[in-house]
Amino acid sequence: MTPPSLDDNFFRHEYGRLVSRLSCHVGVQHLQEVEDAVQVALLKALEAWEYTGLPENPVAWLYRVAWNCLLGELRKQNRKSRILREQFAFEVTSTSDESCTSDEIQDELLRMLFVCCDETIPIDSQVVLALKTLCGFDVGEIAIRLFTTSANVYKRLDRARERLRETTTDAFDLNCEMVVHRLPAVQQVLYVLFTEGYFSSNSNCVIRRELCDEAIRLAKVLASHPLGQQASTYALLALMHLHIARFAGRTSLSGGLLLLEEQNRQEWNQQEIGEGLSYLAMSAEGDEFSRFHAEAGIAAEHCLAPTFKDTRWDRIVEMYELLETTAVSPVHALNRAVAVAEWKSPIDGLSILDSLTPPTWLSGSYMWAAVYSDIHHRCGNIESACRYRSIAIETAPSDAIRELIKRRLQFP
Amino acid sequence: MTSKKFLCIQRSQPGERQQPSPSQMQEMYAVFNKWREKFSANIVDMGGRLGGGKVASADGVKDGPFVEAKEIVGGFMIITAESIEEAVKIASECPGVVSPGSCVEVREITTP
Repeated sequence: MTPPSLDDNFFRHEYGRLVSRLSCHVGVQHLQEVEDAVQVALLKALEAWEYTGLPENPVAWLYRVAWNCLLGELRKQNRKSRILREQFAFEVTSTSDESCTSDEIQDELLRMLFVCCDETIPIDSQVVLALKTLCGFDVGEIAIRLFTTSANVYKRLDRARERLRETTTDAFDLNCEMVVHRLPAVQQVLYVLFTEGYFSSNSNCVIRRELCDEAIRLAKVLASHPLGQQASTYALLALMHLHIARFAGRTSLSGGLLLLEEQNRQEWNQQEIGEGLSYLAMSAEGDEFSRFHAEAGIAAEHCLAPTFKDTRWDRIVEMYELLETTAVSPVHALNRAVAVAEWKSPIDGLSILDSLTPPTWLSGSYMWAAVYSDIHHRCGNIESACRYRSIAIETAPSDAIRELIKRRLQFP
Repeated sequence: MTSKKFLCIQRSQPGERQQPSPSQMQEMYAVFNKWREKFSANIVDMGGRLGGGKVASADGVKDGPFVEAKEIVGGFMIITAESIEEAVKIASECPGVVSPGSCVEVREITTP
């Protein structure tokens, strides 16, 4: 007998689908009850399937158990509070059908994503809410992934749930104006989810990669719906793929971080690059130019350069300038200075750096000090280079980054 | 040598245990299946989990299981093995059975 098998992320993804689906039925103000019911259903499934093997249709099995469990809980509450009574009279009849097309499931996931991106919920709570309800991570797992404490994750979740409890029952359908208005917020959450995974200083590659994959999965759900089919969504997907293509190449065999110029470009994933480039082409249709376009453009230049030396630095500088017009950030200016140093000369790079007035979180960071040290060194200002190097080593957030700085800034 | 049958009784400490996350459930499911596959020839009856019940005695019928017990019987299963040592090995490899707060008792089933 071949053992029954499920997709690798079946339980986690099914959690997200069920939470989305049931929240659609009963309203997001009952999110807590919905999540509890789904958790119970998954536990029952685990127990039952271990003993009896997989049912014919595991998805329908789970849905039925979760729905019954939710209904039981809401009825119990219903008896306690009469206000809810009328509300459920129609819902019970309207959702007895458990068959559901894959399109509908995608729509429900997408709808939940838009629910999470409520502008009255702080963005860090939105991200946590999406990870919990759509990706099926529990509080402890989210804390590890976002480099924070479980208590902090609880706090952020509570804030989000509190807000959702105030939402009216008929939240919204996917075509209403409010949803269109929320598209940038949705893209932003997906972007943060991705960058949390990609740029995190967390040394565990597996869990970082998982966050990136979740962001790509949800971004694809967005791009599959007419509502999400915007140039900026395609640009977002392009930048995700063009970054993820280089994910494996960024670390050495011993697990240390590698500089762009040290990476073996053969290890970059050509299939991901191809996919990224085709999204980039789709994103170029129309007049919209978002920050994702600029970032995807920069990533594409790196992916297409045969060697570090042959990178079209002029194009990258141009893209950073565009990025600064769509998303003002001193980090972008810092990156532009690095690109200018490669393209023109270290002195030109230094003069850009000197012209900036970075906020303290940046000027006190290892990134700023390391770039300053390197450019000073290349300009021949050894004393300044050494001074900034010590700051960079001192402020490095992880051992991997400290190693990287020491290797990169090797001079007497 | 003929195989003997053994009853495996799983016990755990009462009280709330932390619920596994969906990822952990996936892992538990995979590990359990691997175990079941490895010892498929030894598993006579997968048994099941035991729910609440009642206790009948000469004094009448009481609600059970024994609430004062420090450990409660959570489930059972029947396996075959050549010896008690082998049976214990099979049972102790079963995921979830031997974990913090729970244990398994293995008893030979003797028939006349």
